[in-house]
Amino acid sequence: MTPAVPLGAFIAVSAALFFIGCAGVLTRRNAVVILMCVELMLNAANLALVAFSRRYGATDERGSVFVVFVFVVAAAEVAVGLAIVLSAYRTRPVVNVDEARAMKG
Amino acid sequence: MTFDFLEMVLFAILAIAIVGAGAAVVLVGRITSAALFMAFTFLCMAGMFLLLGAETIAAFQVLIYVGAITVLILYGVMFTPQGSRDYGLFFQKQTPWAIVFVAFLAVPVMVFASSFQDGRPLARGGDLVPLATSLFGDFAYPFEVASVLLLAALVGAIVLVKRDDEEIR
Repeated sequence: MTPAVPLGAFIAVSAALFFIGCAGVLTRRNAVVILMCVELMLNAANLALVAFSRRYGATDERGSVFVVFVFVVAAAEVAVGLAIVLSAYRTRPVVNVDEARAMKG
Repeated sequence: MTFDFLEMVLFAILAIAIVGAGAAVVLVGRITSAALFMAFTFLCMAGMFLLLGAETIAAFQVLIYVGAITVLILYGVMFTPQGSRDYGLFFQKQTPWAIVFVAFLAVPVMVFASSFQDGRPLARGGDLVPLATSLFGDFAYPFEVASVLLLAALVGAIVLVKRDDEEIR
């Protein structure tokens, strides 16, 4: 029995979302929006991992195990990233990353 | 009579929603709208996981991404005042270079990605048991390391946000 939706379609959607997030990281200036676009890229990678794990002749769910670890890393990343943004805003009231040139407090 | 066409229709709807809402995150000017579009993208991605037969991952996606990360980012949006300079999106120096770079990379990768053929699919019947078997069998040590990472992130976030000055409290 062949699945209705081919594997390549899932991978193509994953690649499209990854490059949308990549374009967002490169063009947006707001630090919070950059974090959102990084989350989009992580989620696109999750879709590719699950699609390969379910459809590419795997014998177990190892790809999905890595998706669980990506969830953990994404949660930790967004928590620390927002803390850095808030801390940087408290030191110097700018949110746009090109205005915050110096990393020193 | 099979319902295979229904799966294809669902996939098309979800794919259009994911790509459209993802593009809206990048293009829309207001930060709150971008955050809500991001939540919608994550929700459609959970539907995509369901189409692939990964129900557990879809549940984690709804719980962690749509629930936790979106709320965290909305708090971040509320705590950082947003200026009126969001409209400078199309007048930046690096935007054309970024679009050229991304398009240059995206076209060959999309063509390559579409060329993958299905291998032998996993047996139907849910992914909870094989996922748990892998996670707590072969990957038990990385699982513990992940808990340490979460603890470190928790402590780091608290230390970063904690105020040092006494008079504001």
